[in-house]
This record gives sequence, C-alpha cells and structure tokens, in this order.
Amino acid sequence: MSDVAVVRVHAAAAAALALSSLVTLVAFGWPFVFQPGNGFEGTSHSTDAPWFFVLILPLLAAIVLAELNAGGIDAKAIALLGMLSSVGGAMRALSPGVAGLEPSFAIIMLGGRVFGRGFGFVLGCLTLFVGALITGGVGPWLPFQMMAAGWVGFASGSLPRMTGRLEVLALAVLGFFLGLFYGLLMNLWFWPFGVYGDGLSFVPGADALANATNYGRYYLTTSVVWDLGRGVFTFLLILVAGRPLLRALRRVSRRAAFGVPVRFEP
Amino acid sequence: MIVFDRVSVTYAGAASPVLSEVDLTIPEGEMCLVMGRTGSGKSTLLRAINGLVPHFSGGTLRGTVQVDGRKTSSHRPRDLADVVGFVGQDPLSGFVTDNVEDELAYAMESLGVAPSVMRKRVEETLDLLGLADLRGRPLAQLSGGQQQRVAIGSVLTTHPRVLVLDEPTSALDPLAAEDVLATMQRLVHDLGLTVVLAEHRLERVVQFVDRIVHVPGDGSPVVDGPPATMLAGTPIAPPVVELGRAAGWDPLPLTVRDARRRSVALRAELAVVPPPEHGPRVSGEVLATTRNLVLGYPRRPVLEDVSLTVSAGEVVALMGRNGAGKSTLLRGLVGLHRPQSGTIDSPRAGLVPQVPADLLYAASVRSECEMADRDADAPAGTTRALMDRLTDGIDPDTHPRDLSEGQKLTLALAIVLAQRPALLLLDEPTRGLDYTAKQNLVAILHDLVADGHGVVLATHDVELVAEVATRVVVLADGEVVADGAAREVVVSSPAFAPQVAKIMAPQPWLTARDVASALAASRR
Amino acid sequence: MRPHHRITHPRALHPGAWWLWALGLAAAASRTANPVPLVLIIAVTWFVVSARRGDTPWAASYALFFRLALIVIAIHLVFQTLLSGSTQGTTVLFSLPEIPVPDSFGIQLGGDVTLEALLTAFYVALQLAAIFCCIGAANALGSARQLLRYVPAALYEIGIACVIALTFAPQLAGDARRVRDAARLRGGNRGRVRRLGRLAMPMLEGALERSVELAAAMDSRGYGRTTTTDPRARRTTSLLVVAGSLGTCVGVYGLLAGTADSWLGLPMLLVGAALGVLGIASGGRRTGRTRYRPDPWALPELLVVASGLAAAALMFWQVRVDPGVLVLSSSTAVPPVPLLACLGIALALLPAVLAPPLPIAPARVAR
Repeated sequence: MSDVAVVRVHAAAAAALALSSLVTLVAFGWPFVFQPGNGFEGTSHSTDAPWFFVLILPLLAAIVLAELNAGGIDAKAIALLGMLSSVGGAMRALSPGVAGLEPSFAIIMLGGRVFGRGFGFVLGCLTLFVGALITGGVGPWLPFQMMAAGWVGFASGSLPRMTGRLEVLALAVLGFFLGLFYGLLMNLWFWPFGVYGDGLSFVPGADALANATNYGRYYLTTSVVWDLGRGVFTFLLILVAGRPLLRALRRVSRRAAFGVPVRFEP
Repeated sequence: MIVFDRVSVTYAGAASPVLSEVDLTIPEGEMCLVMGRTGSGKSTLLRAINGLVPHFSGGTLRGTVQVDGRKTSSHRPRDLADVVGFVGQDPLSGFVTDNVEDELAYAMESLGVAPSVMRKRVEETLDLLGLADLRGRPLAQLSGGQQQRVAIGSVLTTHPRVLVLDEPTSALDPLAAEDVLATMQRLVHDLGLTVVLAEHRLERVVQFVDRIVHVPGDGSPVVDGPPATMLAGTPIAPPVVELGRAAGWDPLPLTVRDARRRSVALRAELAVVPPPEHGPRVSGEVLATTRNLVLGYPRRPVLEDVSLTVSAGEVVALMGRNGAGKSTLLRGLVGLHRPQSGTIDSPRAGLVPQVPADLLYAASVRSECEMADRDADAPAGTTRALMDRLTDGIDPDTHPRDLSEGQKLTLALAIVLAQRPALLLLDEPTRGLDYTAKQNLVAILHDLVADGHGVVLATHDVELVAEVATRVVVLADGEVVADGAAREVVVSSPAFAPQVAKIMAPQPWLTARDVASALAASRR
Repeated sequence: MRPHHRITHPRALHPGAWWLWALGLAAAASRTANPVPLVLIIAVTWFVVSARRGDTPWAASYALFFRLALIVIAIHLVFQTLLSGSTQGTTVLFSLPEIPVPDSFGIQLGGDVTLEALLTAFYVALQLAAIFCCIGAANALGSARQLLRYVPAALYEIGIACVIALTFAPQLAGDARRVRDAARLRGGNRGRVRRLGRLAMPMLEGALERSVELAAAMDSRGYGRTTTTDPRARRTTSLLVVAGSLGTCVGVYGLLAGTADSWLGLPMLLVGAALGVLGIASGGRRTGRTRYRPDPWALPELLVVASGLAAAALMFWQVRVDPGVLVLSSSTAVPPVPLLACLGIALALLPAVLAPPLPIAPARVAR
C-alpha cells in the first residue's frame, strides 16, 4: 500500500475502472480470444473490430477519469498531477532512452507508489496524454497507451507496504516486467491492421492459436529487443534513482500536508 | 476588516506554536506591513488571513480569525476568494494558464461569474494594472515585474476587499520590485483596498504604509503600531531610518525627501569630515582580465568589446539594467561561455549562480557537504568547516532545499569556496534575502576580501553596493559605460545612488554606518 | 449577419471543427483498400493544411505525421521483401538469398519477391498512411491543446492538470539549462548517470515545490468552490457510468463472440456508449463554473464539419451500393474509380476556402 491515497478510488470508480480495463484488455487481445468476423456477418468487412476499439476506448478512458475525478480531487493533487505529468511528458519527448519511455515510467511508478493507486492511474494517463500533446502526436493509439500507462501507475500503487532497499528493488523488478509488457501490448493494438508477410501478420478468420503464433513470431522478430531494452533500462533506472526520487516525492507529500488533520479550537 | 482574536497556530508534529496569542485588528482601507525575519511566522500570519492556515497547511488554529465578518473556521480559502486576494512570492509558480487574459479570468471562471461580467472585469483589470498591451502574451515571456502584476490582477478580478501579499517582490530584481510596489500603492489609493504585505525591502515601502506589524519570531508577542514609532525600536530598518537614528532625529524620517529637509544641520556638521575610504585604491595580484571581449550568441553579441581587470582585494559591483550583459560576463569569467572574440583570462574563478538551489542535489546538508568535498577534490570536511565559518545554526540533517534563502546562499557559497577560487563571482546574491541575511552576506564578503580574495557581484541592490563595493562597473547594452571607485560612480548617478548618498549629496557618504562613526568621532 | 458567420471574416476556426472534419476523412479512409481514394485523401489533407495552417508551433505536426506515414509504408515494404513467403502472385521481381529457417518456425527469410506481394503490402500501408495524414492534419490545424478548453465539465479538474502540465513543460527547458550550468560550476562530474541525476533531481524538486505553491494559489482563487456535492446526483452519475461501461463490455463481447442474439452486439455497444456519455454529461452538471470568451461555433464550423462528414457518408453509401469498387479484385489489377467516394473526398477539400482565413498577427512592440 502507498503512504497516502490522494485520489480515492470509490466503489463506482473501481467498477468503471475494472470494466473499462476489461474492454481495453480485450481490445488488445481479441485476435487471440475470439474469432472475429462472426459478429459482422452480413457485411463484407471482417476486420472491423479494431476500428470499434479505436472509437470506444477514448470514451472509456474519459469515463474512468471522470469517475475518479468525481470522487473529488483537491487543488494539491491537481497541481501535483500537472507538474509530474509535465516532467514525465517532457522526458518522454526529450529523453534519449530506447523508446524514450523509461524516465516517464519511473515517474509514473514512483508517483503511484507514494500518492496511491488512484493517483498512479491518473498520472499514467496524463503523462502519456501530455507527452502526446507536447509532441503533437495525438492519434488513435493514445487511448491504448493511456490505459496501459494508467495500469502501470495503478500496479505500483497497489504493491504491499515495504521499506528501504526492498521497496526500491520490488519497484525495479515490477518496472522491468511492466516495461516489457507495455511493449507487448502496444504492438498488439496496431498489429492486426498491418501486413508484414506470411506467418507474421494477423489473419482474419484464422483460429486464435494461429494468430497467437503469428503474433509471437512478429513480436520476436521486431520488438522484443526494444522491449527487453526498455524493461532493463526501467529496472536500472529505478534501482539507481529510486531512492532519491522516492525521497523527493515523500518530501513534497509532507510539505503539501496530505491527510494532515485540520483543527480549530475556540 | 481583519480581526485576529487570541490566535495561536501549531503545525502538526511541531512542539511549540509558530504564532501565539496574536491580537490584531486591521481596519478597512489600511496598508499594513508585516515585518520579521525569515521563519519568524509572518507567512503563517498572512496565510491565516484567508484560511490557508490551517485548511491547506494542516495543524491547529486556536482563537478566531475574521475577515469582513467571515470566520476562517467556517470558510475555506476558496470560500474567501471573493473577499481576500492572496499573492505569493514567485508569480510564475502560481499561474494556472499560459496567457495573460486567461489567467485573469481563471478565478472568475472558478467562481462562476457571468461571461459578460467577466469580460468587463478583465478589461478593467488590464487597464488598472497597465497590462493592456500584454493581453495575449504567454506568461513565461513576461518580465518578472509584469508577471507579478498579472498575479495581482488575477486575484483582483474577483473584486476582493483585502489583498494579502507574501513577499511579492523577493523573487524579483529591484527594478521589477519597484514596478510592483508602485502598482500596489496606486491600488490602495484608487480602490480603497485593505492591503497586508510582507516585504524585506523596507526602504521601498515604509513611506506608503499606515501600520507596521512586527513578528519577532522568538516567542515574544506580535506588536503593531504606526511606522515611525515601530521603526524606532526594531533591529531592522531602512537606511533613511538608520541615518535618522544616528543623527538622533525625532520623529524618524521615513522618506528621502523628509530626511533631506532635516539634514541641513547634519550636512553642515560633516562638511569638514572626509568620508571613509571603501576598500583599497591600490590592489593586489591580478585575478582576472578580459581584453576586447565579445560574448554571446552567433549574430547576437551580448557583450561587445569589454576590457576589464579584477585584482585581489577588490569588490567589483557590476550594475546595469536587465539584459545589459552582467550575468553573461560572470558566466564568461567562469568559463560557461566561450568568447567569440577577445580573450578571457580568469583561471581561478568560482560562481554562485542566481538560484543557489540549483547547486544543491543531496538529501541533507551533511551529505551535500561531503559531495562537495569530493567534487572539489578537497580534504573531507572542508565544505562543512567553511559553512560553519560563514554562518552558524544550520542543522546538518536538514534537507538543503528546506533552508531559508540566506542559508541556501551560504551553503552554495561554501560549496563554491571549497574549490578554492581566488576570484568569487556572485550573481544577484541578495534576491530573496531578509535584512539579517543581507548583513551576514556583507560580513562574509568583507572577510573574504580580507583573506585576499577578489569578488565580483552582479547586482541591482544599491544599498549592498554602498556597503561592500570598492569599485563599480556599469554595463549598458553590452559595453562598459562607467568604471571607477564606488563612491565616484554611485553618488553622481540618479539610478544607482543609495538613500544616504541622496540625503547627504553633494557630500559623498554611502552608508548610515559611515555617517554614524564620523559623527561619533567628531562629537567625541 | 454577425461577422463570425462569414467565411471571409479572419479568425481561428474552432479546433473541434477541424478534428471532426479530420475524423470524417479518417473514417472514410478506414473503409477502403483502393489506392485511388486513399491517395486522394492524402492529397486533400495536404492541400487543406497548406491553405489554412497558421504559424503556430503545432502547425509543424503535419510534416511529422507525413514522415511517419512514409515510414509506415517503408516498413511494410521492407518486411514484405525480407520475409515474404511469396505464396501470392507469380510476377517475380527479384530474388534474395534464402536463409534457412526451421519449418516449425513458420516463416521464410529471403527468397523470391513478387510484385503482387509488394503491392498488397503497399496498399495496406497506404490505408494506414492516409489515416496518419488525417490525424496529422487535425493536429496541425486545430491544436489539441486548444481543445482542452472544451473538455466535458466532468473532466474539468483533469483538464486543468493538463493545462498546468502544458504551461510548465516549456519552462522545464529553461530550468534544465540553468541547472546544467550550475552542475558544471560545481565540477567533479564523473559518469553520465550521475550527471543525469544531478540534472534531474533539482528540476524535479523544483517542480514538486512549485506544485505546492500552485495549489495554494489555486485554492485561494476559488478552485473547486462551485462544485456541489449532492449525493443523489452523484449516485445517478455513478449508476449511469457503471451501467455504461457494463453495456460496452457486453456489447464488445457480443460483437466478438458473434452470438446468435443480435441485440448483444452492436446495439448493446451503442446503448452502453450512450449511457457513458450521459454519465459524463450528468457528472458535469455538478459544477457551476463559467467560461471566459469561448471560441464561437458558427456557420464556418458547421460547413467544415459537414464537409468532413460528407466524405464519410458518401464513402459509407458507396459501401452499401457498390462495395466492389472499394477493394481490388487482385493486387495487380488497375484500381477502379469509386465515383461516390471520390465525390465525398472532393467535398472534404472545401474547408480550404470555407474555413475563415487566419488573422495576421499584429506587429509586436519590441520590448
């Protein structure tokens, strides 16, 4: 558990988050789970599913954020979200890392860790959004990235309470897997759109296993190197910078007096 | 308008209260100055007015604070937004949007003011603060003074009755500060606002204020009264008042004009006494030379043809307006800028940057000092010893960024000195310093010069120049327009003359202390 | 007629209008694999952007996206060349040396490269490229950042966080320069990681400290004051939102699983989405804020949006009446010209004149 819960995840928000995450997961993983096309019988297009997701995901992301927002985010949390997502987004635009994501990942994860999972989720979404706005790169991939990065922040905020080196190590290991996984998912959203040659592409109507194998091959040939790189970099970054970063975040948490009681005496 | 009734504030986890048993009444339409050292609790006092303490900060408030009949115990800061406008130190960090017009409208949007009213009020505020030319400009492109004016405007649009300003000029250079204070004064006169402000640069404000509240910060009670009586007793006073004290005038003068009219006898008395020398005429080893220096960016030179020599034992003040090339020259001397033509020869220079916090990375003062030793290849403990010599009372376990501005400067100075520079460069060192910290800096600089260091300061602070500089170099548009002994350059210049020089003109006295010791000697 | 209804009155078009126009074009592009309408779409975006782009920093994003589109095409072609199993087509263009890969791996490296395979890959990539160009045009013409002013009220606070982030981001560059200089003053840097840390820590600490001050300023200026907390309205909103996400969930399942009950699919998805939109709308009612000088939404906006929607509508009509011309019978066949679709895309060219011209910025008085 994190130190404070700056953005509370109440029941309705949790439900919306869970359902939207489910849809997003399906949006990523439908080629393996379902045989597409059946629902679209009668039309001549069997690859419509991804387009539906591109349309529906922004709405879902908006719903989750609105519901978390409705729980009441105070000025301190908003200002903090703004500043952190600005730093994260700018790093994303500037940093020379493998995919330019590692420093932002570290900030999302450590922010979620210190200020709670609700905050982590919103921070993840915003960091990617702000990064896209800074670079002028708003596109259909954005909602996918936002949800995935939101999960990253949420997961870090959900780690059990730990202290000292153990905490940093746990976060670093989590960072490795999340970095790897993020790439795996992000390739998935556009993979079905493209044709990359036999045995690498999405085949509409083929069974799930065949597509999974195809994707596996695609992943191994194209992006596994990058994703491993991202995972390793995130791991190292958190291992090296985790302690000072956590300290800085906790310091501001104290300064902003989150959860400090306010008393009036006559 | 503002009533404090037996108010004590204790922050969560603190052993003793920051403020205790404060009784204070500020009537409508008054301009009230809150005085006190950094950390004395004056920020707490100001923030209690609109309820930021304790609603925002946490902690316990005993007693009641009432503004325009509303108690802060039942009104959060946002509920007081249409009664109290609050402006902080650094204008840029309080901005929500990125251009002038949106920023002015932001508070009204939050309060749900009707669009037509909003439009009208924005226009009124633009005119009132002289911002009309800047309306669509990005906030980050404005000068410090303009930014602070926008910050004031952004709280005025809700038509508050009270304006609270927490050191509105301490992050600004003196010219910007003057700009803001002049605006303030106009507001008090035109709008009948009640203004409460904290301000270090007493010499700029005492003449406008109706009341001074002194927060001693050592546990003794908060006192208030009219400026002349309050300043007679406090350790902090502007140079005019110090001169008045030295000359034994009663009541004390608050403005230069006032003092000038009273000083006829004093000038007559001192006409035959030569003012003391500030620093040596002949100086030691040459520490830095520049010859026909051109510095800057391709096709945009900032410095043009600057030839300058600085020797040990000198304190050179670089003066001139913003953008005249002062900082660029310092950066060149320390090797951050490569000359485009001409030469720089200053092998042993160390620079304390304008924002000393930029030099600080570690989590505690102790480890910061250890890191600095390693960085400078100095024996362990060097920086710590330097810091302890420069000032006492810095707890080595504090986070460096939690130190006061004065302490940060001292720590940064210690870090730079650990590299054993012969020539010390300081960029705008008095920004954000309170009176005590400034006195401390003056003492440190005197010591360093006595040790054989040379010092170059880029500053707008004429009182500091009057106290420490032996030589003044005035830069304008990248060129040296005046270079000479401090007294010769400063006294004759309307822009750079310190208050005492203005009062005593044409006699070249620079500080109240010089006058006081001369008086003491002549009356003995 | 008020001046902002005139298409000749110089002003900036509402950014939302540009995005809707671009989305319409993108939707049209998503319906066809025929290179004729796809190339037309790219040409239309190019032309409109050149005609109505301002000198804003984001105006450069069209070039960025155009380059991205070229990269997409290049990647597709390279992949097809290196990995093609050449099961399609017989026109061998050239042969690459084949690298033996175990059969179980299921792919073939190198070998014959056929015209048919390359063309197929090119057409698929062209569709993606066309969509990229549409998005690039939207980014360049209507800044997504300006759109932030129009976030639904339920997302207002989050929108403010974005505004803060975007305001602060450019200042970070200046901070970075200052901090880097300071680090050089201190000397003693060993190693890149340490140097990066010395750059990052003061910047991050500065940003964090600023956030506390900013929050105090926001609080004193009435942030969140007009937000009412009526528990009943809250419950309604939550109910709508949860029902909406549940509906979407079920709808997606229905669509993908292709169950017999047709109501489980698209209709359910639409109902879910509608409930979600309702939820967001109802969540927005709790705030009593007002908006300062909103951009007008007038005739030119409507015309621009209509032209984008016309492109989509005519494309969908084409799908209904004669889907055959939207796909190629074989990759080497000469592409047919789908008249209806091309007419729609031509309509989308009109914003080049329908959108009002941008005012010329007044000469700034030098400071």
